[in-house]
Amino acid sequence: MNDEIFLNERIDVLAKFGTGLNPCVPIKFRRPNGREVVVTEIGLRHPTTQGKRAVHVFDVTDGAIDYRIELDSERLTWQLTRMGDAI
Amino acid sequence: MRDTYNTYQPLIMHIDLNSCFATVEQQARVVLRGKPVAVVNRRTDQTMIVTASYEAKAAGVKLGMKLRDARKLCPGLVGVESDPPKYRYVYHKLLDIMNDYSAHVTMKSIDEGVIDFTQAPQAIIDRGLENIGREIKQRLKDEIGTAMRCNVGIATNRFLAKTAASLHKPDGLDVITHENLRDVLGTLKLQDLTGIAERNAHRLESVGVMTPLDFLDTSASVLHNSVFKSIDGDKWHQRLHGWEVDDVAITTKRVGRQYVLDDFNLTFDEILQRLHHLCESVGWRMRKQGLSARGIYVGTRTFGMRGDKRRNYWHATHVSQTPFFSDATIYSLARHLFVNASPNIRDINVHVYLLQPHEQSQVSLFADEIARERSVVSAIDQLNDRYGEHTVHSADTLKTSPFVKTKIPFGSTRYL
Repeated sequence: MNDEIFLNERIDVLAKFGTGLNPCVPIKFRRPNGREVVVTEIGLRHPTTQGKRAVHVFDVTDGAIDYRIELDSERLTWQLTRMGDAI
Repeated sequence: MRDTYNTYQPLIMHIDLNSCFATVEQQARVVLRGKPVAVVNRRTDQTMIVTASYEAKAAGVKLGMKLRDARKLCPGLVGVESDPPKYRYVYHKLLDIMNDYSAHVTMKSIDEGVIDFTQAPQAIIDRGLENIGREIKQRLKDEIGTAMRCNVGIATNRFLAKTAASLHKPDGLDVITHENLRDVLGTLKLQDLTGIAERNAHRLESVGVMTPLDFLDTSASVLHNSVFKSIDGDKWHQRLHGWEVDDVAITTKRVGRQYVLDDFNLTFDEILQRLHHLCESVGWRMRKQGLSARGIYVGTRTFGMRGDKRRNYWHATHVSQTPFFSDATIYSLARHLFVNASPNIRDINVHVYLLQPHEQSQVSLFADEIARERSVVSAIDQLNDRYGEHTVHSADTLKTSPFVKTKIPFGSTRYL
């Protein structure tokens, strides 16, 4: 049943901030183990809250595995919170 | 009573995101696209399927089926746990898009809504509703994601617009007018019509109404006197002829929650803790709408004797003379009723009813006590608003949060 792995990793993210419907576009990120993931597509970006703190959730993929990365808009930190298991 | 077809320009648009949760999951998780996906509320094989993707439905997977059974029909089925914030976001995006075209938008549930163009500016109507429908489809793809699809139905009333939206799933756009009404109804079965399930179909068949076209041709008096035996018969006659009878405002009459126990071997005290959690959740939802209640209902479903459904249910109610609003009072009343519940409980259900505006309660002899309780409840609600639901709660429900999670309610958009 469980096709996802739940994580809580601080990550370094290279993102592009611009104009238009998707002003923030993560391009690639580096996990604490040194592995680099290049984002090939953003599936969905949706805002959510942790109390009053806004967190932007990005469901992204590198073409083979889905990842969920979250931008804490108050602390300006990125976390890798989920990773799809091989299907 | 109008016996003729409604020949006005169709100005009601129904928009439906079919297989909504599964489509949103496939939008978010690129790897799941094109694969059979089932959205479930818990990460177990025993859980019921809430929504299935079109690929899963094609393999015979149906809503309400257990995930374990569905996997036998569709071995590659991927079970995904529901993610309410994602669906709420898509709901609000869809609502924003719909609001751009008319001030008269009604969301019927989290995945469908109606735009009423009857009072829209002429400039909007002149663009043509079919063009607007196509534009909304494109905006869904541009503003949410390329995997998003919706069905659009256009007609002179809500019922026919919904019928039109179900003709060509998953990405259709259909218009029903008085000119093609007979052709469209000729392609459907009685139970394809919204509101006609097994019982109503049986009632209609008993007077020789076997198809939607027979239904359309039956007079209002026969529907009133012989089929529905109420004003519902007249309403059905109007509905089928394209006249609006469903544009009615729905008021909240009760607020409640139901919970299937996470383990059927829980002790009575552990079940009480879950009941307490439900009471806190019900109180929070009720106060969010500025309401207090006078009535409370507590019900259970139990593992009873096989084949005797009456034994499987237990419920008790209480009506208070003065309105109540705090979690502590709701739980105290619910607990008092719950001690008489039958053993072998499978699920529990708490509702409050006889709702009234929170501020209009009469001043009682215990006004100071009520004012103090109101201040405490208000302070707790403000903290929970700021830091998230269930941040401040009773110590009794400290361990229940991992089990009693908030899920998206179908058929209601009050808490979205």
